[in-house]
Amino acid sequence: MSLKQTFYKVRSSKIVQGILIANIFAFLIIGMQSSLLPKDVGVLVFSEFVIIPLLMGIIMAWCWKDTNMRGTQITACSILGSLMAILLSFIFLGEGIICLLIVSPLIFGFVIAGAFIGRSMFKKSNQKLNISIVSLLLGIFIVDSLSDHHHENMVSDEILIHASPAQVWQHVVAFDPISQKESYWLFNIGMPSPMATTVSEHKLGANRKCIFSNGYIFDEKIVKFDVNENLVFDIIDQPKDPEIMGHIDIKRGQFMLKDNGNGTTTLIGNSWYNLHVFPTWYYDLWAESITRNVHFRVMEHIKLLSER
Amino acid sequence: MFSFVVRKLGFLKDIPLLAILFDSLMRLWMFIVKPELLHWIDDLEENVERMPGTTVGIHKYGGTAFNYSGKEFAHVHSNGLVDILLNKELKKSLMMDGKIKDHHLFKNSGWISFYLHNKQDVAYACYLLKKAYDRAREKQNSVRQALIVQSLQ
Repeated sequence: MSLKQTFYKVRSSKIVQGILIANIFAFLIIGMQSSLLPKDVGVLVFSEFVIIPLLMGIIMAWCWKDTNMRGTQITACSILGSLMAILLSFIFLGEGIICLLIVSPLIFGFVIAGAFIGRSMFKKSNQKLNISIVSLLLGIFIVDSLSDHHHENMVSDEILIHASPAQVWQHVVAFDPISQKESYWLFNIGMPSPMATTVSEHKLGANRKCIFSNGYIFDEKIVKFDVNENLVFDIIDQPKDPEIMGHIDIKRGQFMLKDNGNGTTTLIGNSWYNLHVFPTWYYDLWAESITRNVHFRVMEHIKLLSER
Repeated sequence: MFSFVVRKLGFLKDIPLLAILFDSLMRLWMFIVKPELLHWIDDLEENVERMPGTTVGIHKYGGTAFNYSGKEFAHVHSNGLVDILLNKELKKSLMMDGKIKDHHLFKNSGWISFYLHNKQDVAYACYLLKKAYDRAREKQNSVRQALIVQSLQ
């Protein structure tokens, strides 16, 4: 069989058609949503991760309805369709690899679920019910796209340090580069981790810079400076990284030092952020986990320096 | 993992699509680590589809539901856990073989749980599904007969 014949055979295959049509549908609908319903750059609503993958799965099932595919084959082809959607998001939407890694369970899960829901729907051949389900999903998509989305969260962590508040304070405002090995898996696969902090002056209103492992810098301004007690800084500029671009805004950070009266200090680290990706029940788990690991990497380093 | 989620997060199962998402992710995981399990599940599905009056659909808490006359008589989760509705007497006699267990949630019911660990388990699962199917059919027939008698009176 010639290459041309193979190409035509692949193109006319119902399986390939299902994968292609579902992906074209998804990108058309996201394109229409961005042009007709403009929203802030980086904001991704719940429908884009739930309703669209579900509809992709249903479309695939519709294309495959006469093929007598077994469940295993449906699973394999749904995975292929999801991988294609993820690849297209990387190429056309400019999403970072770690960002796509985080989103992939939702895409895979809902595309597979959609394909099996679709298989059930088309077996019953109840056109009214099928149209109602698809219309309901599209309705939810439109309402969700038109709704306002806002989510703010604060993450707090604490650590016990065997040193006085004065000793700890020396390493809180600014600290030398962190040399400890990364322990968090996302840092190990390339997510930037905090490396060092510099400060222009040790006083209120001074500029602080938090430097990350890939050279990215978060510009901060000290807004509360109570020596040996409390340091609060606002993030005034964050790097344009494809992994976080518009998806999360770190607003403010804080270190509180609590004198335990026995030569030890409890160091509390707080961070406030706005999340622009939804559903928050999923993304907040990741945002909290990442923030927590940033806290602990910095606070463990402060502990090490203070206890020397 | 499955038992942990069912035990600790089971209360979330009524959130629309959440259980189905969880089952789809299990299916994805099984496709990667134990793809033959998905073939065994397909074998079960095909076996049930050959029984007259049955339909195969999505289970509301994730997995594949097996129905007779629109009523569920068994379902299989994508980790190979088959839950089958028998009656208490049948359950008691089958439990003596030591192959089946109480249902993972409803211990004191006619439901039983059976895990597909290997290819040989498929045959036993088919045997259990046939028992459940026969029971569902008999029950349905007796309801029908009762209705006919009632209408004749």
